[in-house]
Amino acid sequence: MELAIETDALTKKYGSLTAVNKLNLKVQRNSIHGFLGPNGAGKTTTIKIVVGLLKPDGGNVKVLGQPVHGDQADSRLRVGYMPELPKFPKHLKGRELLDIYGQMYGLTKQQRQEQIPKLLDLVGLKERENDLIGKYSKGMQQRIGIAQALLNSPELVILDEPSLGLDPVGMVEVRELVKAIAKEGMTVFVSSHLLFEVEQVCTHVTIINRGNMLVSDTLQSVSSMLSGPAAILVEVAKLSTAVVNAVKTLPFVSSVTQDGDKLTVRLTTREDVRAEVSQQITSTGGTIVGMSTQGSNLEEVFLQLITKDGGGKPQSPTKP
Amino acid sequence: MVRYEMIWNIRKKKFLGILIVAFVFATLGLALPPVLSSVTGQAITSDPNFAVTFSAGGLGFFLFALATAMNSISSEFESGTIVPLLTKPVSRTMVFLGKLFAAFIMLLLVYTVLFSYAVIGGIAVYGPQSNLYLVPLTLLGNVLSTFIWVAILLAMGALSKNTLVAALVALGVFLALFMALPIVSLFAGPSPALSYVPGGGASGVMNVTDGTRSIATGTDGVGVNLVNAVLYPAGAVSFSKINLGAMQPGQTIVPFQEVLYTENMSLVAWRSVGVAFLYVFVFLFIAWYALKRAQILE
Repeated sequence: MELAIETDALTKKYGSLTAVNKLNLKVQRNSIHGFLGPNGAGKTTTIKIVVGLLKPDGGNVKVLGQPVHGDQADSRLRVGYMPELPKFPKHLKGRELLDIYGQMYGLTKQQRQEQIPKLLDLVGLKERENDLIGKYSKGMQQRIGIAQALLNSPELVILDEPSLGLDPVGMVEVRELVKAIAKEGMTVFVSSHLLFEVEQVCTHVTIINRGNMLVSDTLQSVSSMLSGPAAILVEVAKLSTAVVNAVKTLPFVSSVTQDGDKLTVRLTTREDVRAEVSQQITSTGGTIVGMSTQGSNLEEVFLQLITKDGGGKPQSPTKP
Repeated sequence: MVRYEMIWNIRKKKFLGILIVAFVFATLGLALPPVLSSVTGQAITSDPNFAVTFSAGGLGFFLFALATAMNSISSEFESGTIVPLLTKPVSRTMVFLGKLFAAFIMLLLVYTVLFSYAVIGGIAVYGPQSNLYLVPLTLLGNVLSTFIWVAILLAMGALSKNTLVAALVALGVFLALFMALPIVSLFAGPSPALSYVPGGGASGVMNVTDGTRSIATGTDGVGVNLVNAVLYPAGAVSFSKINLGAMQPGQTIVPFQEVLYTENMSLVAWRSVGVAFLYVFVFLFIAWYALKRAQILE
């Protein structure tokens, strides 16, 4: 199946700094693909190359099957893009901006009249459509940014840090919006440094650091394959040796460590085995006070990968 | 793209600002003769060609261009609005042409208002005006003269991505030409080379049936030169310098006009048009190329 975004050995340098290093990114169609990395990892640079704002120093990019090179206006017809902290002309009104951009997308007056109110409603700016953008708050500018990225009902929506600068309520709204966009059948490529955001909305994830791709797969695979053995933390009242030994006998338990009345049960499986552990403890006279899982979320994977890669700062090549 | 740019020009009060400058210029030109007349007591001489030979002048061209194009490209970079703009399905060439067309429309509107004012004011101050059908030609000539500075400002804006730098470089070029050319002219006389530099060019005189006409060959005189070429296609423009003659001991120096060369009025007019177009084309090409190649790092 044709990919939404495909890069082949994509490289971008700023002087001696390699911002993107031979990146092979593959974004499946109809997915919500999270693009994760610490600040300065090369996420925005990659996105700018994909949308044609920057020219790569090496490698190729294909967007919706079309190679991206030079100033090809046509290749942008099927793509919607919201930049990081978008800036729009302050002298334009919200509705005017969408109308002018709609004209640039070649939408007819009737299409614009149908599409714009819907989008303003979707991003919650209906009441402020006739206000100048200069009077919009940061959150409202983010919202109009999302609206303009959806104007042309694109096949691919690229959102660069859509939650940046938003309050918690705004962040939740953006997440819901991303899910809603994906339901419409659009491919969403969303860059973020917020792990929980990606974890909550994405089906696929790519993690980059210092311009290098560390991992790229489905969210489930990334979360489960790379984080090492999972564990269950149990707090048990009336904790006895019998309870500890009983838990150890479970076939999927690799080791059990005790710290006061708390047990750390390390597992050989990534299946949800809390019920079995719980039953074993109660059947041997223990009373469970609390239980939580550890080692299966994206955050742990991310930290593990970033630490292995030597931290989060951009890569500066060693001079010969 | 034109709509995007025009709304900006109107909302940012650029259009209003240029109109005010235009009115100030035109009013000064129209009010000066009556003021001088009242001071000196001499009656104002009627001038039926005032309207067709009206010009915003070198400073006017520069100021109009400054107000129109100073931040047309650079502010997009400075404010970050270039990012969403260049990701729309509009090529950079179209973005550039849109900005150019909007600048042309704005200057055309401003000069239309200015020349309408000059015609009415000319009739009021200098009496009935003749050859008014040539006013659009002068107007377009003025737009072309202004466009040299528009092109220079756009080129500087696209190269530097900074409005202040663009304005200062253009101002530097303007002042250098404004001061240097008269000095060159003073020492070297009306050299033909002056006709190929933006500005007033070489000064000459053309004898016509009702007197003489002062002719400036440079790009600032495109409008007036075109009108003169239509009215006097076979007119000869003579370029001369003051010769102090051979100094003999005990004799009084009698300076005399030494004609260096003469040129046909049509040649003067079409050359000024050609030189103006050349400058416009070269600087617009630089501006377009810089925008086309720009990497958006912001």
